[in-house]
Amino acid sequence: MNKDWELSQEAFDALLDWLDSDREQAALKYEKIRRSLIKIFTGRGCVEPEDLADETINRVTSKLKEIKKEFSGDRTRYFFGVANKVHLEHLRRKLPQPTPPPTNDPDRIELEFNCLERCIEKLSKEHRELLLRYHGADGPAETEHRRALAEELGIAPNALRIRVYRIRMGLKECVEKCIERSLE
Amino acid sequence: MNLTADKQEIKSYLLGILDGDRKTQLEERILSAPETYEELLLVEEELIDSYVANGLSELERQQFETHFLITAERQKNLRFGQLLKRYVNSHPFPVAQQNVAAAAIPHVEKGAPAKKSFNLSMLPATGRPVMVFGIAGVVLLGVALLCWLGYKRPPSRLAQQRIEPVVVVTLAPAAAPRVNVPPKGYDLKLELELANPNFRNYKSELFRENKSVQTRGELKLESKGEQYIVPLTITGEMLSPGDYQVKLCGVSESGANEFIDKYSFRVIE
Repeated sequence: MNKDWELSQEAFDALLDWLDSDREQAALKYEKIRRSLIKIFTGRGCVEPEDLADETINRVTSKLKEIKKEFSGDRTRYFFGVANKVHLEHLRRKLPQPTPPPTNDPDRIELEFNCLERCIEKLSKEHRELLLRYHGADGPAETEHRRALAEELGIAPNALRIRVYRIRMGLKECVEKCIERSLE
Repeated sequence: MNLTADKQEIKSYLLGILDGDRKTQLEERILSAPETYEELLLVEEELIDSYVANGLSELERQQFETHFLITAERQKNLRFGQLLKRYVNSHPFPVAQQNVAAAAIPHVEKGAPAKKSFNLSMLPATGRPVMVFGIAGVVLLGVALLCWLGYKRPPSRLAQQRIEPVVVVTLAPAAAPRVNVPPKGYDLKLELELANPNFRNYKSELFRENKSVQTRGELKLESKGEQYIVPLTITGEMLSPGDYQVKLCGVSESGANEFIDKYSFRVIE
């Protein structure tokens, strides 16, 4: 790929059209492909997975005219093939150093913990209780504890996992915003 | 999708120990199957929780640190997991309260007829007061016998399920979690994590604001998942807001004490 090639609005629109004729669906598919590529590059031990995902998408977009003529089938698979090439090239280049671990400054940890406390207080009573009860056991007792909790709520254990995951993601977002505000 | 198999496979993938073909197939599914992508997100969080709770094997732990934690995003997620664990440890949800409350409510079968109160007038009118009192005496004796039998009977299933009124906190030597003063009637059970289980008996000394307040001996080692712990129960009444430390010693066969570690926690209102 020409390194100077940049994703223009026109090229991006063409990519979305190729992914789905419905613009909204196309945008969702694009987001999903990008997020999945980031996970794949992370899973392969790449330190800058976002850059490699974007490079993959840019490469597909830049060759879209040819791809449209030659390729038929599941479009996500095409991205997977290009991602493999991008990854091989990445391995030949000098590998970037892994990210250093976050600071263990006690003041910073306390600030983050205070944010977590504040965000948990903002949760509804039901969500707060569910989160605490779900994480209330670990080790060998954990599975049975969560199974009993799911039964009590009248839902499948996997539905409980997903429910708690969503609460947790909302909480994480709240904590991140709180930390940003506190550091301003 | 076989959830358990998928979960295990994804866990291996995240730790970088999934072999070639299975890895490629899984990556294709991550890209094309939304349920696999969602499962990956869930397993990522669960893996972090297992790491934080010392629930990974030695190899998994090593892979987690060298392979999984390579990106800033995951390091941020680990920090969040650690903070959440600290919060959960210091705000344990009193599961026992619920069962205790349930046990205190008399169980009434839906649709069961209302109990009729005992009434002397229900007895056949004999016109002989002595006989009436005699029958009443027998009935009272019967009631007393039933009460006694009820008292002697083993506890009901519900009562057996009652959980000890303790608040459990797992303590690692490097951590210093905040622990709420336990609710009235509750004790605090500390699970002191050990790296090397070299002794069978342990001895502890509890300090509050650097002043020794309690010494306990004959503490036994227990295993909890992949972790070894020494449980130490502290009466809830003796805890008040302040900084506490537990000094743990191993007791050798000869009876000599060997210092193991110090564990800190802060009790808050």
